[in-house]
Amino acid sequence: MMEYEIPLLFIAPVICSLPIAFAWVRSPGAKWAEKLAYLSVFGLFISLVIALHILFTYQEGRYTIQWLPEYNINFVFIFDYLSKYMGALTGIIAFLIGVYGLEYMKGDYRLGWYWFFFNMFTASMLLVVYSDNLLMLLIGWEGLGLASWGLIGHWFRDDDEISYVGTVGRKVGPLNMFWPPSMGGWRAISTIRTGDMPMFFAVAAIYALTGTLDISQIHWGGLFHMIGYGGTVLLCVLFLMGPFTKSAQLPFSEWLMTAMTGPTTVSALLHSATMVAAGTYVFMRMSWYIQPWNLHSMPGVEVVYIFVLFVGLISALYGASVATGCRERKVLLAASTMSSLGLMFGCAAASYWFGKFAILVAFWYLITHAFAKATLFLVAGHLIHATHDRFSCGDLALAKRMKVAFAATIVATVFLVGIPPFTAYWVKSGMDEVIHHIAHEVGMAPLTLLILTSLLYSAALAKFMSQNFIKGPGYHLHLHGEKLMPLAYATMVSMLVVLLYEILTGTEHVAGHFVEMGYVSSSFIVGLGVTAAYVIGTYKPSISALSKLGTFLSDRMEMPFLNDYIVPGVGWVIAWLVGLGNSAIDWFCHRGIPSAFNRFSRSIRSIQVGYLRVYLKIALGFVMLVIVVSAMGWW
Amino acid sequence: MILEFLLVPLIAVFIAPFFRPKAATGISAAAFLVPFVLTVYGLAANRVFEEPLIDIVKPVGTFYLLGDQISFAFGFAICIVSAMVALYSLPYMVHRFEEMSYDIEHEYRRFIFLFNLYATSMLWLVFSGNFILLYIFLEISLLSSFLLIYMYGYGNRRWVATLYFVWTHIAGMLALIGFLITGFDNGSLAFNGIAKIGFAAWLLIFLGMVIKLPGLGPHIWLPWAHAEAPTPVSALLSPLTVGLGAYVILRVYQIDPWFIKEYMVPIFVYGVISSAYAGFAVLKQNDYKRLLAYSTVSQMGYCLIAICLGSYGAMAVVIQYISHAFGKSILFMTAGGIIAVYHGLRDITKMGGMHEQVPTISNAALIGFMNLGGVLTVGMFGEFFILKGVVDTFGFNIPAILSVVFVFILSGFYGFYTLKRIYYGTPKDYKKARVPRLLDTPLYIIGVISILFILPPLAPLLLNAIKLGIGGVIP
Repeated sequence: MMEYEIPLLFIAPVICSLPIAFAWVRSPGAKWAEKLAYLSVFGLFISLVIALHILFTYQEGRYTIQWLPEYNINFVFIFDYLSKYMGALTGIIAFLIGVYGLEYMKGDYRLGWYWFFFNMFTASMLLVVYSDNLLMLLIGWEGLGLASWGLIGHWFRDDDEISYVGTVGRKVGPLNMFWPPSMGGWRAISTIRTGDMPMFFAVAAIYALTGTLDISQIHWGGLFHMIGYGGTVLLCVLFLMGPFTKSAQLPFSEWLMTAMTGPTTVSALLHSATMVAAGTYVFMRMSWYIQPWNLHSMPGVEVVYIFVLFVGLISALYGASVATGCRERKVLLAASTMSSLGLMFGCAAASYWFGKFAILVAFWYLITHAFAKATLFLVAGHLIHATHDRFSCGDLALAKRMKVAFAATIVATVFLVGIPPFTAYWVKSGMDEVIHHIAHEVGMAPLTLLILTSLLYSAALAKFMSQNFIKGPGYHLHLHGEKLMPLAYATMVSMLVVLLYEILTGTEHVAGHFVEMGYVSSSFIVGLGVTAAYVIGTYKPSISALSKLGTFLSDRMEMPFLNDYIVPGVGWVIAWLVGLGNSAIDWFCHRGIPSAFNRFSRSIRSIQVGYLRVYLKIALGFVMLVIVVSAMGWW
Repeated sequence: MILEFLLVPLIAVFIAPFFRPKAATGISAAAFLVPFVLTVYGLAANRVFEEPLIDIVKPVGTFYLLGDQISFAFGFAICIVSAMVALYSLPYMVHRFEEMSYDIEHEYRRFIFLFNLYATSMLWLVFSGNFILLYIFLEISLLSSFLLIYMYGYGNRRWVATLYFVWTHIAGMLALIGFLITGFDNGSLAFNGIAKIGFAAWLLIFLGMVIKLPGLGPHIWLPWAHAEAPTPVSALLSPLTVGLGAYVILRVYQIDPWFIKEYMVPIFVYGVISSAYAGFAVLKQNDYKRLLAYSTVSQMGYCLIAICLGSYGAMAVVIQYISHAFGKSILFMTAGGIIAVYHGLRDITKMGGMHEQVPTISNAALIGFMNLGGVLTVGMFGEFFILKGVVDTFGFNIPAILSVVFVFILSGFYGFYTLKRIYYGTPKDYKKARVPRLLDTPLYIIGVISILFILPPLAPLLLNAIKLGIGGVIP
């Protein structure tokens, strides 16, 4: 069973998407070709079934398929707590969003491309999730990057303003503060390549040093001991460049904001629930087996974990603040996603001091966040469809027309921001507890960052809810009687209730612990603060007195300058110098040398003109020379 | 056995011109697929073939055919790329002859003869077991490619062809002198008869091959020649021919590696600078074929980097050659596709959103750049081995690590940046065109092979063979 099921898990979605991909090349837009999308979703369904089967019936352990046995590199699949849940999560979300996409993408001009990359993404993500071998993980990882690039730039014609990010025509200094899809795709892939290559090096270095690439089999303590303090820090930081870029942590956050140029289904699946979370997931998986809590005698490890802790928490605060200033539906959600990812990094990094439980808290937050944020994105997509506007707009009248969307938004936001006694409250309490606990070692800064982030985060999502359903600007509504879309996000949001049930009843052995932490008074105080922030955000989603600050925040604190001005600027200066160098070499080799030869040859040939006087002069010259030389010799 | 297989394309060289264009193309492509089967068998066979041809006086030594895993790996790339480009050249050259108002049938005879001669000489080159034999095939390939550029090139084609001829002959001469010195020192130029290679000989061969490869400085000939050659010729020149410089260095290195080991650091630095320099140059180009030519320089820098990195580096040279051959042949054919369909359109500033008009070519270009960037294609192993080699050789040397990583990032950058410039964004006002089947299908065949190479059974087939081929000789 296993030997068929596991390859099928990855191959099925890709194979099932090929018919539509090929059909679209032959006859784009044909009705029969559009029908093949159902086959694609069926591929996702196969993956879902297998992932659930793995979750419920597989023993913890590893499974190997031969790949490069000569090199001790094989396809090694691991089934443990993290991968089983993460795989099931990916399967569920991908399938639901696939169903949603059937309706959302109807009539699109590029469905072959869309479904191929959508399904390839799912396969890649599952490969990352179940992989124990780092090289195999990298294959999935590169697949994620490629799929993300393909899907962000899906509407490559750049002809529809609805797919842009930013206010079209707005400029700040030399920069255009709006990005078309083709630009969004380029920004994503360029950032991701920047992180992937150092990570690739780290993987190769691990292979060179240990001779194996299986995460669970490497003797990490021995490795760190061998390479010492500097080596450990270098190796880990280079490795982390991959997760940091993928999960859009500072200073690599910009691409995620402009990734919103892709279809909303893509934003929901890739840029909130799964792909960007893959960075944090890989960090959790590595930490799970590195067991940093047992490595306190290695000096380098602590530095690395402090580094991750602060990168994560600072990014979290940055993301939450930016989110409060955003007016674009999807960009607001993207900024808050970045914030959540920062929290996951921060909390997982605390495992160095707190132990394995910190990773579990971060992982549970990942799950909660994935369902809630995917719901919000799907609602945002529906709203964009219905209002033809990517900026927040809507009021209670709209809420009445779109009841399911309104209800789903309320549930998703309330369950996600940490209002007691809903799902994220218990998980966040665990996080508060973890970060509070490590105050002895790293001071109060992390806890402060965490609480500030929680408050802003809550306000930002309340703003999203309020501006789209209660107190937003005016709008035009065009409902088309969508059925699949509400069904998909209603199902998605109900998963949060399932999670809440798991936590409160303690049926899941890890989740049960969160309840104890939720009863701690300090957690409850934070919960009250979050609730207050939510109420304020709902009541006053925009404050005109703070519009300057809001613009600064929605310009992402001028971070676009890094991606669009500083880095390309340096690049162009070097390219210009290189261009000069090429012209110089070209001139020297292909004009200078030939013309020097020409001149030399002409001056030689100029002797042979045929006039007697010239030859006489030459003869006389020689005579003179002979006289002078012999005179000197005689003298 | 090798001889029989290699004779097939050689016979085709002389037979094909007697047929009409369509049949001639079919014969040529089929003729390269026969030795292709041999190379696959050779990679799997796990043994070395040596077939003596003729004994010649000192210092030349025996001419023999050598079929080891390295030859088979290089031969594999040469066969498949040549076969696919042969198919591709039919519609392309017909278009080109129309453009030059030649008589198609008559001219195609000349073309297919030179084309086959050119590709076959490269195939024989990698199976030559003697440096003089190798030089002879090198010379044939240079002459035939020179003639192809001279007769069917673009722009100032006679000047460009002469330029190409001069540069490559400087390279060839230097290498030949190096070979001869080696021959006089050892009494033989057969690979198995050479014990050691002196400083002068090594230096001359190395310099010659760096001009051919090319490294920074001499690289200046390459954009001219590769951009102005007719596209099927570019699609052999750039993927296959220049990389043979790396092949020769690798062969010499296998026999006596002292030179590379002695001057490891300067060569490594030179490779990194060449690669990064050319990578930046790519960003500035406005001519699609010239852009690809600079990217070739950048990719060949990988080979210079890799050769310094011990046995994993040497393996990376082979993989890099293959992955670059796949990627660059696809890319040159995409450039040619646009030229053929849109009557000589090469200027990138006049392109943009071309995915709208020629989606199949655009998707092929994506696979091509994935090969160059090592994304999900065989190039991934090349990069992996280079990175492992860096650690093996330099340890945790931060400048070495960062420079290599930077070069790799740059390849991905210019690839996706070029894709964005040419194929995405607001479409320009061109009519949607029907791309002839032979102008896009061969690209996908190469593309699929390059992707299949990361999975079993092809991945272990290639990598095990290369490990055997390299591991057996280098101490």
